[in-house]
Amino acid sequence: MKGELAVPARRVLLAKTSLDGHWRGPLAVAHALRNAGFEVIFAGMASVEEIVRAAADEDVDLVGLNVGGRVEVAERILDALRAAGIDAPVIAGGTLAPHACRKLAERGVATFPPGSSLQAIVETARALTRGESA
Amino acid sequence: MSGERYTASGIPIRPVYGPADVPAPQRDAADSRPGQAPFLRGAYPEMYRSRPWRIFQLSGYGNPEDENERIRFLLEHGETGFIMEHDRMTADHLYDVDHPEVVARREDVGLTGAVLLHVRDYHIALDRIDQAAYYAHSGGGVVQHAPYANAAYWTIARRRGLDLRNLSGTGQSDYFLTYLGCFPKEQIPARAGLRLNRDLIEFCAAEVPRWVPVSIAAYNGADTGLNAWQELGALLANAIEYLDLVRQRGRLEMAAVAHAVGGVSFRVSMDLFEDIAKLRAARKMWHDLIRERYGVDDPQALRLRIHVVTAGTAMTYPQPLNNVVRGTLMAFAAVLGGVQSLGVSGYDEAISIPSEHAHQMSLRIQQILQNETNLTAVADPLGGSYFVEALTAEIERRAWEFVGEIEAQGGFIATLDSGWLHQRAIANQLEDSRKIEGGERKIVGVNCFEADVGALEVEGFRPVDNVYERSLERLEAVRRTRDARRARDAIRRLERACRDPEENVMPAMLEVLDAEVTLGEVGAVFRDVFGTWKVPVNV
Repeated sequence: MKGELAVPARRVLLAKTSLDGHWRGPLAVAHALRNAGFEVIFAGMASVEEIVRAAADEDVDLVGLNVGGRVEVAERILDALRAAGIDAPVIAGGTLAPHACRKLAERGVATFPPGSSLQAIVETARALTRGESA
Repeated sequence: MSGERYTASGIPIRPVYGPADVPAPQRDAADSRPGQAPFLRGAYPEMYRSRPWRIFQLSGYGNPEDENERIRFLLEHGETGFIMEHDRMTADHLYDVDHPEVVARREDVGLTGAVLLHVRDYHIALDRIDQAAYYAHSGGGVVQHAPYANAAYWTIARRRGLDLRNLSGTGQSDYFLTYLGCFPKEQIPARAGLRLNRDLIEFCAAEVPRWVPVSIAAYNGADTGLNAWQELGALLANAIEYLDLVRQRGRLEMAAVAHAVGGVSFRVSMDLFEDIAKLRAARKMWHDLIRERYGVDDPQALRLRIHVVTAGTAMTYPQPLNNVVRGTLMAFAAVLGGVQSLGVSGYDEAISIPSEHAHQMSLRIQQILQNETNLTAVADPLGGSYFVEALTAEIERRAWEFVGEIEAQGGFIATLDSGWLHQRAIANQLEDSRKIEGGERKIVGVNCFEADVGALEVEGFRPVDNVYERSLERLEAVRRTRDARRARDAIRRLERACRDPEENVMPAMLEVLDAEVTLGEVGAVFRDVFGTWKVPVNV
């Protein structure tokens, strides 16, 4: 992070879209992002409305969704964020089948199914938040 | 790679082992025979010649009809027991399908298990399945759900005229999933769960003696990050929590209880010898624990029966057919370790619950091992191997040490409440991530050999679309047409039983099922009486 010290930390909202409470994946991602200098806010198992509210209240630069259920819920979250005028980029991880990855990719969401490297997630988060005013 | 080598749990291993590497007490234990104390070499004298391992696959999704169809599919294809997986959103949380938290994500309903919200749903799920013929997991893997799920399964059996005394199976009622690896949004405190498990143990001792009232599933601890000897130590510390409680109450024969709760499950992952050693050590340690701590001599009580599930986390997303190989290797190791029951995770595990074809492959892997390999001919074929005996002794030593650490923390439940056990798992998770990211731990298709000329895409399980709507219809029909007064009385009686710590909740729970009280109504009582557990992990 040398040379970036003057820039305030980018803020990431992580949330689980489903009521499946496996926390191992989000914890690994949160840890990797924090180590890379991001400020991570974990909303846990949050509803669509809760995610939209948290993204607005926390004024986040990036939203990371842990999808433990069907992709339709993630799509609903995406719709609600955009409808609320929140244009922060969205990335998604979790048990995403190939068709779910394609659906999300069509809407500009970078996807990280199981086995994705944490480094790749960090690099994507950096690229997506670079140059935005904090 | 030359240089130092370690097992997955960090035990240093040499390039070759000889007689001097096996400690003397381990040599003595290895001189025993399978089926004899200390059961190091197997639970039964002839092992698979007389008792083939049970083919026991996790299954369930969608509407009760879907679950029923999948269970019958598996039984028709050679499964020898059956498992009822419940929908995580409703079952783990004790929510009806119209609970606002469920409605908020209604698309997910039924994705990971069947939605079974009242006794009518269980009738559908168990239609044309002979409960007298199979060892069953009724669902209720989660502590707060177990009394309901057990009572539901037993209610169907009673209505069919079956004697509960002859039913065999388990509801599991285990801590490792929801208090360690997968936290629901809300669940009752771990200590309140201990009271429910006590009630299950005491009720089963009197009324359902062939049922395993609580089946410790350390698998979930392992897939959350506990290493082999931590998994084993935590399992024993959990057993101590149950057995100490039973002894302190002094109402039951210790031998009978030790036998009842001596059906447990472990994970077998890709460090094959370490996990074989773990299963062998587990049997010996169970024997030693029951004999020394509880003064029990009955061989039935000293013999640990083991179910293994192959590691879900070992199954990779890229190159999914490789997972058939991984499943085969892990199943092979489980059999060499002497399991009584086995489930092989699906090759599409990283994507979804198993598709029908992935399920069939899990069966075929086991059937090939049982029928083509002669693996079933000889008990404990690795017994006496210098390496395996040395590793078994070392795992035992470390696992006892871990039991001691947990006891020093105030016992198993205390380590869940404080987050101490979670911190052990987290340390291993982060270390594991670091090794995989850095290539120190290689996973084919993930961080090496990533090219895939086949580029075969597996889409996993195709979920059912109408589960939320159909579950809601059935739920509303029950509320409309049941005997409202009887349901209300049953709920009141359950609440009274819950509030009186000396009463057993199970008779009231059976009445709840028979009176068509719904899962969410029971959840409301539990939340009101017991309150909510505070999650000790910050992500």
